[in-house]
Amino acid sequence: MRRPAQAGAAPSALASLHAGIAAYYTGTLTRFGATPLGVDWSCEPTQQMRFVQLLKLCDLSVPVSLDDVGCGYGALLAFLHARHPASVVDYLGIDLSAAMVRRARRLWRGTPAARFVLGHASPRVADYSVASGIFNVQLEQPRADWELFIADTLDHMHAASVRGFAVNFIQAPPPGQTVRRGLYATDPARWADHCARRFGAVTEVIEGYGLREFSLLVRPRGAADDVGHQPRPRLVQ
Amino acid sequence: MGHIMGDWDSHIGSLFDIFNQRFAAPQSKDEALYGGISEMVALQREFKIFQKGRPFVESARLLGLGGLSNNLVKNLWFKLLADLSSYESDTAGQNGDERIVNALISNLEASKPLPCVLTSHDSRAKDGRKVIVTSPSQPIHYIEAPHITISLPMRPKGSKAPAAKAPPKKKK
Repeated sequence: MRRPAQAGAAPSALASLHAGIAAYYTGTLTRFGATPLGVDWSCEPTQQMRFVQLLKLCDLSVPVSLDDVGCGYGALLAFLHARHPASVVDYLGIDLSAAMVRRARRLWRGTPAARFVLGHASPRVADYSVASGIFNVQLEQPRADWELFIADTLDHMHAASVRGFAVNFIQAPPPGQTVRRGLYATDPARWADHCARRFGAVTEVIEGYGLREFSLLVRPRGAADDVGHQPRPRLVQ
Repeated sequence: MGHIMGDWDSHIGSLFDIFNQRFAAPQSKDEALYGGISEMVALQREFKIFQKGRPFVESARLLGLGGLSNNLVKNLWFKLLADLSSYESDTAGQNGDERIVNALISNLEASKPLPCVLTSHDSRAKDGRKVIVTSPSQPIHYIEAPHITISLPMRPKGSKAPAAKAPPKKKK
């Protein structure tokens, strides 16, 4: 059994960075509420377009457990209910912002199989993990520190996902152009190669869905043979 | 229609800009696959944001085309857009709202979609009280790309509304 708590860098090394992220998204939530703007997306369709890509990782024809890292107010849950009403998903949202987690719990109170926890990593091992947009807003962090955060998060997601995980990134602009200050952009190969090498995984890059970004799907080798495998999700107490 | 915005009419240009950015032409070959009209095409393909029978204002709300800075301005703008169905268009059998929605659907589902520009004309002019869609057009002289121009009829606040066109007499 994988042990998610052992993955990644020492918690203290990234504590300040995590606190900055939490403060930023607490601010967007305070300003815009439980809306796409409240988690820094321009509108609901673009927010959901990212979910469409990330969920290409998942076989939702069978019951699954799914971790949503940087879940915000749980918009993915609403999308799952609307887009995949017949699917059975044991959902766990994880977020660094205590205000966001409180809002999500209030919003989804009484919804079966939906839980939210405060933190930077999942406390359980699930079938899949996804994270949408959590690597985009670098703020004033040095790029090297931000990439340490990305690598650490990917370590945790890998350790906590039996059947794979998916994340997205802003696509690096062509030479001569820059992204807006405070945003992190990268080439697909940068993190696809990292995941393939570090986790011995099969990676898939999805582009061309109208947004200047890409989604990275990471599956363990032989995952196709594992269809039907149902790990029992469990919360680590 | 501009009179609906009342004292907030100076915001109309910035509201046009929000639409025009979301439906803009790619500015380089590298951008041809994302942003602006490419993003809209992808969103339309995935979510059918513009649909026959769905008022334009509902899609505009979904896309956040009312801006962020001022709720009053946003609500007035959506009130204005909701009023489009009470206007005629340059196409027989389609009111102003239907004309815009149909034009956007056709464009976003076309093999070569064009960027779109939202603008206005003086509704007090002859035949001015119509939504006018022009395609292809060249509404921005400094961007060499064919566009679809959607022009909304507007008049200043406090001005007299143009007389409504008398309905055609029925033949006996």
